[in-house]
Amino acid sequence: MSRAIVVTSGKGGVGKTTTSANLGMALARLGHAVVVIDADFGLRNLDLLLGLENRVVYTALDVLAGHCRLDQALVKDKRQPKLALLPAAQNRTKESVNARQMRQIVRALATRYQYILIDCPAGIEMGFRNAIAPATEALVVTTPEISAVRDADRVVGLLEAHGIKRINLIINRIRPSMVKANDMMSVEDVKEILSIPLIGIVPDDEQVIVSTNKGEPLVLAKEMSFAGTSFNNIARRLEGQQVKFLDLNEMNPGFLTKLRKFFTSK
Amino acid sequence: MVDFVDSELWQQLQQRLSGGERFWEPGTSVHLNAQNHLLDSRQLQELGEALDRYDLKLTRIATSRRQTAVAAATAGFSIDQGSELPQLLTLSEDKTTGGKTLTAEPLYLQTTVRSGAEVRHPGSVIIMGDLNPGSSVVADGDILIWGRLRGVAHAGAAGNKGSIILALKLEPTQLRIADSLARVPQTAQGPTRPEVAYVTAKGDIRITEAAGFTRPYR
Repeated sequence: MSRAIVVTSGKGGVGKTTTSANLGMALARLGHAVVVIDADFGLRNLDLLLGLENRVVYTALDVLAGHCRLDQALVKDKRQPKLALLPAAQNRTKESVNARQMRQIVRALATRYQYILIDCPAGIEMGFRNAIAPATEALVVTTPEISAVRDADRVVGLLEAHGIKRINLIINRIRPSMVKANDMMSVEDVKEILSIPLIGIVPDDEQVIVSTNKGEPLVLAKEMSFAGTSFNNIARRLEGQQVKFLDLNEMNPGFLTKLRKFFTSK
Repeated sequence: MVDFVDSELWQQLQQRLSGGERFWEPGTSVHLNAQNHLLDSRQLQELGEALDRYDLKLTRIATSRRQTAVAAATAGFSIDQGSELPQLLTLSEDKTTGGKTLTAEPLYLQTTVRSGAEVRHPGSVIIMGDLNPGSSVVADGDILIWGRLRGVAHAGAAGNKGSIILALKLEPTQLRIADSLARVPQTAQGPTRPEVAYVTAKGDIRITEAAGFTRPYR
């Protein structure tokens, strides 16, 4: 059975694309056939994060227009052959596709892939509606900020109205030291408002920026970062495994600061 | 054109269905009072399927429009055309003004009312669940929240000053009763006891502990 999972948040910049790229890679590494769909037409990013930008030839729109076959548009990852990307068109807008076409694409992919991750655009307009139309499950990404949580709450309501029952929560960019000092919403605070099952907590990690710029997902790094471990754990929980949540207090928040001090104090 | 399933109305219907699931027997038949709305057979079918998911059967459609009636007949529903449409509201006496107003049966939902959602009802509203920030409940009668009230609640929206707002945890963005309005001071941690909000004789909104609260009849 193939699972079509939409990664969504409402608010922009909370880590939908980072989550899609890393989860896609992590699931593929666990041995599943995975395809990630960039549903952010006009503002595509997923190919950058996966480091596949220069290999994009056709896009989802070319498939829909009949310019190419579906498998011609799919970009297979060289590092991880079980992972494929269906890129969005960059020169078009969200209005250039509709919900029926998205369902059509996902239906075609479902015969070959176990996991179909749909990277949803920000907002709750047309692009959002297209992205959630073919999904049977959702991952809602939020950061521990009031605005992000508020938008996530709205999105959960919309997903429920669309009959998507399996909705899991990922809390991204948690900073344990700030939570401790009561300067940041805690995991509990966010859970209390959204009241949906929590599937992952990802700490704020500078490595995310490095990995984005390099086009190399965190989960591929030789020395696994905390964020990378978190994404691997989410992938395993999606599979149905019971994995304990990382104890974020173990994460030494002062390490990088100390390192920087070491270099600057000379 | 906005797709039927993307409309505001559809979201409200979904919310109503998922929130009321406990309160009907599986297989209960549903009569749709379409009044003079124009519905095509595809929309009727989608509606039927949506109700199906909650174990409800759409059986009868009352409409005053010919096209809707034709579409309903084609889709295989029985039709009530033009004849007496069911009355949704009942007359009741308003205790404060002594006059008669139209109020509906209380609305009882088990749901989380999320940001952007609005529950509107021409009677009292009882919600088992939280009212999240960014959401609102507007009721002509009382509002009882068996959970946390963090959104906006407006009781007695039609003008009944005797209406109350009660919640297990009252942390609202704003409270309104009839035409009075109150903001609740942003305290770090309020009391965890159930509280009730009411309007005093002077027209201010007061909050007091719910246990032992007797409604201030005048």
